[in-house]
Amino acid sequence: MTQVTPTPREPVKVEPIQPEPTRDTPTHAAPAPSRPIGSPQRQPAAAAVEYAIIDAIRRGETPAACVHDAARAEDHVLNVQNFNLWYGAAQALFNLNFEITRGKVTALIGPSGCGKSTFLRSINRLNDLILGVRTGGELILNGSPVYAPDVDVIDLRKRMGMVFQKSNPFPMSIFENVVYPLRIDGERRKSVLRDACERALRGAAIWDEVKDRLNESGTSLSGGQQQRLCIARAIAADPEVLLMDEPCSALDPIATLKIEELINEIGQRFTVVIVTHNMQQAARVSDYTAFMYLGRLVEFGPTAEIFQNPLLPETEQYVTGRFG
Amino acid sequence: MTAATPINRPGDRPQKRRTPLAVRGEPMLWLTGMALTASIVMIVALLAAVLLNGFATFWPRDIHEVRLSDGRMFLGVPTREESYDPGVDRLAELRERGADLPPGSLDEEELPVRRLYRVGNKEVRGQPFEWVDLLSIESVSFPEDAVLLERTQWGVWLGVPEAVLLKEEKIVPPGAPLEGTTETPYGERRFEREIIEETDAGVRVVERVWVAESTEETWEALPAMHADAAARRAELLRLNKHEVGYINLRLERARLAVRTAEINHDRGRIDDAALARARAEFESRSAELQAEYDELLGTIRAKAAIDDRYRIIVRDPGTGAIAPRAQTEPDEPLLISQIVRYVRANSLGAGGRVGVYLDRWWEFLATDPREANTEGGVFPVIFGTVMMTILLSIVVVPLGVIAALYLREYAKQGVVISAVRIAINNLAGVPSIVYGVFGLGFFCYTLGAWVDNGPTNPWPMGLWILGGFGTIAIMVGAAFVSHIGRPKPGRPVGSRDRILGWAAGGLWIAAVALVIALVTYAPFFGGFFPARTTFGTKGILWSALTLALLTLPVVVVATEEAITSVPGSLRQGSYGCGASKWQTVRRIILPGALPGVMTGMILAIARGAGEVAPLMLVGAVKLAPELPFETHFPYLHLERSFMHLGFHIYDVGFQSPDSEAARPVVWTTTFLLIVVVVALNLAAIGLRARLRKRAAGGAF
Repeated sequence: MTQVTPTPREPVKVEPIQPEPTRDTPTHAAPAPSRPIGSPQRQPAAAAVEYAIIDAIRRGETPAACVHDAARAEDHVLNVQNFNLWYGAAQALFNLNFEITRGKVTALIGPSGCGKSTFLRSINRLNDLILGVRTGGELILNGSPVYAPDVDVIDLRKRMGMVFQKSNPFPMSIFENVVYPLRIDGERRKSVLRDACERALRGAAIWDEVKDRLNESGTSLSGGQQQRLCIARAIAADPEVLLMDEPCSALDPIATLKIEELINEIGQRFTVVIVTHNMQQAARVSDYTAFMYLGRLVEFGPTAEIFQNPLLPETEQYVTGRFG
Repeated sequence: MTAATPINRPGDRPQKRRTPLAVRGEPMLWLTGMALTASIVMIVALLAAVLLNGFATFWPRDIHEVRLSDGRMFLGVPTREESYDPGVDRLAELRERGADLPPGSLDEEELPVRRLYRVGNKEVRGQPFEWVDLLSIESVSFPEDAVLLERTQWGVWLGVPEAVLLKEEKIVPPGAPLEGTTETPYGERRFEREIIEETDAGVRVVERVWVAESTEETWEALPAMHADAAARRAELLRLNKHEVGYINLRLERARLAVRTAEINHDRGRIDDAALARARAEFESRSAELQAEYDELLGTIRAKAAIDDRYRIIVRDPGTGAIAPRAQTEPDEPLLISQIVRYVRANSLGAGGRVGVYLDRWWEFLATDPREANTEGGVFPVIFGTVMMTILLSIVVVPLGVIAALYLREYAKQGVVISAVRIAINNLAGVPSIVYGVFGLGFFCYTLGAWVDNGPTNPWPMGLWILGGFGTIAIMVGAAFVSHIGRPKPGRPVGSRDRILGWAAGGLWIAAVALVIALVTYAPFFGGFFPARTTFGTKGILWSALTLALLTLPVVVVATEEAITSVPGSLRQGSYGCGASKWQTVRRIILPGALPGVMTGMILAIARGAGEVAPLMLVGAVKLAPELPFETHFPYLHLERSFMHLGFHIYDVGFQSPDSEAARPVVWTTTFLLIVVVVALNLAAIGLRARLRKRAAGGAF
């Protein structure tokens, strides 16, 4: 693999504009062809021409995704093959095809409701908890299918860690929070639990802050600490892939900064899939970026390429904040 | 103001009148405030009435020596006063006298006032209470020596003590002195003997040793003698109740054993030899116990004879009668050990009164009731109430929590579950007596009878075994159908899934019904107590179960709410870590819901502890001679009926032969019931606070 990994906190040229959520509901939205996308005041002309793929998606078509050659990894953790997902009658994911590279951070970006989180939750089958969800196609995690009929979902989830949008430490001690995945796996040996706890807390860069208060409640920590505690919990059982669902969206800028540093660090050891709303964050922390829209994959490639030299004009418009 | 002015300046807008009252909502504020005030006033008034009366009951009051204008005289303790209508003629006469009457003898409405005196001395007076018109009282004095005796029988006696003596019938050698001095435990005292008859063995005499011969001497001697007498009484009570009781218990067990053997023999379960062995065993055992009993009886008689010597003469100045040992022997002086407490009220200082007051409270809380529950204590009543409530919470909390867990966590939310939920909520509105009837019919007479005697019409063994295999087959089938019918994640729920789901549900219900039938009609089960009705009647266990049923909705609703309030993010986090549903329930949801569960338990206790109506049918009785807990094996007797504070209030207040004497006890019992409920609630609240702290502190 030869693509350039963006150095942390040396952002690629990105306009510091948070993309606003789209107003039109995307899942089964009827296309509004008369109104061009993006902000017409800034780009009055050329819109209709440039957004060919987006328009096609809005019409309900599923054009083939633009996947960079550099993103076609040989050593991948997760292989997404024609993956579809329905909430009842409404389809939320359309024919996704891409690969998640081992040992790299992959960011999923796109406007609200584009299916980023849904896809993330499909990987560890958390969507099973929602009544009426069904899927088509397959996800292959390290060679074993995720959606095969004989898959043990409990065991499958143990192979992954997940960090949620809102930090959700359990109402237990910090120690018990971290070793929870081991406990439910039946681990009882104190020494093993203690080692795992320390390793995970060090890995989540929170060990020095909590090492003297492991018996205090996890809920007594500050917001950023809670989220790092959740990250520690997610990595405690050495997951094959770490799923992060907008891990910083509920945090203040300083806590966000710490988590981003942490993701950079964790990215050295784990495969991370991160969903984010924040373009700069994606640019700062990820190696690969997938741009999704209305349940379709639009463009997928190395982060530097996506942000500096995207193949599709709509990707450029999106990452520079002019549409979204 | 012109229409063109774009900006509002002060004064631009027309001056409007003030916002109307109704708009500002002021009247609603008054209304809500009034409603709250009314509620609080009612509650406080009720509590104040209970507290005042409950606390005042045991305060020792002065003893009046009342002389009436018709020459009668008596000792009495004033209880209360009221104005009354003495009839038209008397009223007219009183109005005529008007100004001549002493002030205070008529109330504001010019009605005469009467006073209720507790006069006691039921043996000679018949009525222990007497109304006296204040106008008919000539004088009231407070004699120093008047005493109120609280006796073990026949209520109180009011009188003046005259002497203390040791009285005994004995045979002395002929020519023995008829007067002299002798040694007593209280010093050397004068004795006199009265000859009844002369026999060959000697002279049968009644000997009286005068320990105290005047009122003053009596007051001196009495404290020590009464303490000794109380010890003797306690010892006799212990022997009679516990020692004899224990022998009886073992005798009854032996009898039951042989009776069980006979029943089993009739049913063909044991052979003749075994029956003979059982009978022989019983014979030897009962002979042994009889010997033990005879010996014990000898001891008891000897002790009772000694106790019988210590007498006190307390004379009622009104009638001249002395307090008798028994109603049929008016000349035999009272035994000192028959006195529970003597109160020389008029000469007691404040400290002494407080002492009597506390002593009475202690007696009330720690001893058994006497005299149809109107005197003595309520210890077994408190014990029964608390034990029943604890049993009830032990039953209802797990049941309610499990039911709520299934309803909230496992069941698919839909029409059926909504119907179940509504039905459970409606159960809370069923009149409690209906639960009582159900408890009596199902728990006592059906379940209890089954426990005692086994099935009434058991299935033949062949059919039963066949049924057993059938049940296993249905269970396996049900498990299989539920497995293949479980909706697959990622695939839509089809009609096939639905049909399989219903089929699995039906099969499970059939399997459960069959298991119940198999247990109910088991041919080899002959009951645990075939020889005597044990569980097949009222009992504390059935009461607890009935009230558990009654309070189940409260716990289910509270637990459901608590489970719902556990944040979804925690569940997701747990599932995300790879926890199964049960692990999530067990480690995240239940600990999070525990405070809410405790709230449900508190509500259940509050409801259950105060409930009376169903208990009248399934377990509470007027007088339970034995507690449901005792100090020898098997300790717990859940089959026994028990006493309950709520029922006690009803019984003493409305079923008592002597309602005036019972009145104070009703107040104190009510007060006690409130205290018990509050204490149980506080305990549960404390537990909840601890759990919350543990949950927050994370010391799991």
